[in-house]
Amino acid sequence: MIYKTFHFRTLLYLLPAVFIFLTFNVIPGLTSLVLSFFDFTGFETNLFRNFVGIDNFIKIYEDKYFWIALKNTFLFVFGAVFIQTGIALILSIFIFFGNFKFSVLVRSIIFFPCVLAPVSVGLVWKKILEQDGVLNSILGLDYSWLSSVSLVMWLIIMVNTWQWIGYNLVIYYAGLQSMNIELLEASDIDGANWSQKIFSIVIPLLWPTTILNMILNLIGGFRAFDIVYVLTRGGPAHYSEVLASYLYYYSFSAGGPNKMGVGASVAFVIFACILTIAVARIIVSKKLRKEA
Amino acid sequence: METNKTNNYGASFKRSPIFYIVTRIVVLFFIIIIIFPLLYTLSLSVRSPETVYSARYFLIPYEFSFANYIDAFVNAEQKLKVSFPRMFLNSAVVTSLSVTLIISMSIFAAFAFSHLRFPLKESLYNVMIASVAMPAQVLLIPLFYILIYLGIINTYQAVILAYAGFLIPIGILILRMFYEQIPYELTEAGTVDGASDFQLLMRVLLPLAKPAIATCVILLFLDTWNEFIYAMIFMQDPTIHTVPVGLAKIGTSRYQVNIGTYSASVMITIIPVMIIFAVFQRWFIAGMTMGALKH
Repeated sequence: MIYKTFHFRTLLYLLPAVFIFLTFNVIPGLTSLVLSFFDFTGFETNLFRNFVGIDNFIKIYEDKYFWIALKNTFLFVFGAVFIQTGIALILSIFIFFGNFKFSVLVRSIIFFPCVLAPVSVGLVWKKILEQDGVLNSILGLDYSWLSSVSLVMWLIIMVNTWQWIGYNLVIYYAGLQSMNIELLEASDIDGANWSQKIFSIVIPLLWPTTILNMILNLIGGFRAFDIVYVLTRGGPAHYSEVLASYLYYYSFSAGGPNKMGVGASVAFVIFACILTIAVARIIVSKKLRKEA
Repeated sequence: METNKTNNYGASFKRSPIFYIVTRIVVLFFIIIIIFPLLYTLSLSVRSPETVYSARYFLIPYEFSFANYIDAFVNAEQKLKVSFPRMFLNSAVVTSLSVTLIISMSIFAAFAFSHLRFPLKESLYNVMIASVAMPAQVLLIPLFYILIYLGIINTYQAVILAYAGFLIPIGILILRMFYEQIPYELTEAGTVDGASDFQLLMRVLLPLAKPAIATCVILLFLDTWNEFIYAMIFMQDPTIHTVPVGLAKIGTSRYQVNIGTYSASVMITIIPVMIIFAVFQRWFIAGMTMGALKH
């Protein structure tokens, strides 16, 4: 701290950023919660005219597609948090300890999809997965992958994993580079083999990085919209809808119900999910600190 | 950041032939999985219209042709009412202005958080941290009406301000962390010499903060260039579509474009990013790794 007390000049540094943050982030966020108790369409001027209590929530509660969207969102988050992190963990260990000649190039290739727009990635995969796409030619099948109710969500998870695995990989790699190697050297003297080292030394040492990756993927998982939108638009018949695309469908989609209040109540649900997780995270980390 | 030293960690990793073979197979498998979809789309885009449905080993076209790229440009201009160069211009304007706005405001606000005193500092900071975890879609509906109310819906400003509100916490978080890592002796020496807070920021902190600013630029560039849902809803006028919005329209439109034109359109959006990535890959990887540690 430069000064011992508050000076009014401080506000000059602060105000532009805080003004923008409040006007375009905090206030809309809170308004969104309030709006979920009102009924309004995209053409109204006075949004707060028609108070309907919890009608919007009853509406989504009774809508079977809301539950599908909720289930899909959790499935998607599960895939990102466990499958994607798990694969990235194994891959990073293999690249790091595998003594590859071109390890920088290998990492750059696997990382590259992260810098692409999810829209571009989704469209690349859409043509591959279509009925006359190359996946069927390679497998010798004639299957309509994206129309399969049971498979479609897993395909979306796969495409998302394809795009973001490199992100987790480079974070793991940074963790590996800063890892304390004395334990590994000691285990060499004790004659440990490679699988013992990976499972009893490397993976436990990487635990904080694993937590970081899981949190990043958790947050990213709730954001998923672009890939779903371009791959399936929530189809077939809303079976690949996630919360974000369900919100879009209810509020903005051409040919949708144009019920913004219902959309706001879906936003409320997303908000509640994130908040629950954030609070749980704080409680868990406090508990861990107490035990340590 | 990138040290390419051969690591000597664990001699038994080197001695084991099984580990050697398994790592080669697994890593090669993943490289193929990553590269194949991109190469396949590239391959589709350079096939002549007659041979578009067949190729040697799925990838090597029988007949090369750039006709699809010409078609892609014409198709965008006629059906979307916005050409690819215009989409790129729109994206460039939105991205550069948002990134500039966010960073210039964050530089000052982060300084107040790290070196100055004001009431409710940590509460405000916690709200910012929490907002980073919120999905953008939560703000969608109210923002839409705020932008209508301000009369800037369907203009660049709509999306720029929405991005600024949404991404400013990231800039402040990263810069504050960085300012606080700068040794206290440096700023103290400055105050003893009679420097004002403004001079301290401009002469001492900012020159040292260049790597942190570079990290911010990379993260914000990727977030804004690739952003889709705000750009789609807040700028529905076709002439100001950004690249992802225009591409999504081409790729998911009801009137089907043929597969060659489709693939060429996708490649037009990927190739520039690929070139930028090839040049700055170290910066991208280092930037995104550093950005991740803010959580």
